[in-house]
Amino acid sequence: MALDIVSKYRSGLIAVFLIVFQSGAWGLPQVYQKPSDFLRSSFGEIPPTRGISLTQSQQSRVRSILGKNYHQKVIRYWASNERCAFILEAVGKTELITTGYVIDQGKIESVKVLVYRESHGSEVARSFFTHQFRGRSLGSDNRLDQQPRNIAGATLSVRALTKMARLALYLETLR
Amino acid sequence: MKKVKTQSSRRLSRKWHRVLGMAAALPLLLLSISGLLLNHADSLGLHERVVSFRWVVHCYGQMPVGEPIMVEVGERKIVEWDRRIFMDTQELALSGRLVGAVGFKDQLAIALEEVIGIYDGHDELVLTLDELSLPKVPITGIDVVDQRLLVQSGSTWYLLSEDFFSAQETNQRDQAQQPKKLSQKALKELEDGIVQGFSIPLSRLIVDVHSGRLFGWPGWVITDLAALSLILLIILGLRLLPNRRS
Repeated sequence: MALDIVSKYRSGLIAVFLIVFQSGAWGLPQVYQKPSDFLRSSFGEIPPTRGISLTQSQQSRVRSILGKNYHQKVIRYWASNERCAFILEAVGKTELITTGYVIDQGKIESVKVLVYRESHGSEVARSFFTHQFRGRSLGSDNRLDQQPRNIAGATLSVRALTKMARLALYLETLR
Repeated sequence: MKKVKTQSSRRLSRKWHRVLGMAAALPLLLLSISGLLLNHADSLGLHERVVSFRWVVHCYGQMPVGEPIMVEVGERKIVEWDRRIFMDTQELALSGRLVGAVGFKDQLAIALEEVIGIYDGHDELVLTLDELSLPKVPITGIDVVDQRLLVQSGSTWYLLSEDFFSAQETNQRDQAQQPKKLSQKALKELEDGIVQGFSIPLSRLIVDVHSGRLFGWPGWVITDLAALSLILLIILGLRLLPNRRS
């Protein structure tokens, strides 16, 4: 009898099995693009690495943007002519989100989520969201001249990407 | 004939009601108690109370597995255990296979296969170097000469610049230091450190007990089965509800 039930509902059971075991992969980091590929696609080749060593006053400004210190004291960047790229990390809810920002003369040229480690909120990696940052610049109050729209269910990730965008724009003025 | 069939059906329902009731009793009891506690989490202060027990660390899969290895830099122990990196008993925001660690200029460089972490005298992360800034990965060795970092990849050694962002090949050196096994005493200290460093609100623990997630997939399968059993118990109970006719 049990075998009859299994054969009768086989396709349904397989679907349930797949859903259940797919759910186990939710916690895995999602690599959208390797950082090296991001730099190659932005510059053609990887420019030499440079670093910004934050002074106390700069750390203070960074703190006002992020609400806390950046987790590294020296922040790397890659530059070619007027354009420069930062690969920054910030915590969404509990995990780090790695995002690449290309800045051209004080304005964001492109934003790309490279590694997403949170279980929810990965919508921020979609182009409909990241395209909103194009052309944005930093106002006098350390805020973007135009805020991106929020995504319901991904509020913390949206905030993290927005803060990193502000940080990238500020760092660009220090290089 | 119909009466006999009804009696037989009732007997079957009663039998299954009894079997299901016994089988699901413990999970349902756990669900009920945890549900009651969660309903009163605020008044019981369950959000504020934190728990930190060894079995909790194991249940959440936070205790590394496998054999830890370490390198010593002065009095500091740099340990890799299951790709997690610890400085003494403090976990660092680095992950990977430990290659080596060296001290220089009041700083500490920890080399993993794919990344080097530079820490200052306050154990704060100054910089991480990865494939974007290193001459070559995987890294196979690390050393210091004249207060400058030497990094080995394959059989080639590279001397890093003062700012770490450029490198030049340098002469062959001896074999770099190799990580060694952790002593039992140091392992015990590390385990204690991991347990002390992991604490969660009691309410979160009870939520995970309630949903069965705390015990992995067997936990939520049992929870689901208990819930299904409850539905069946209600149906069977309703079938037994009408008075027995003699």
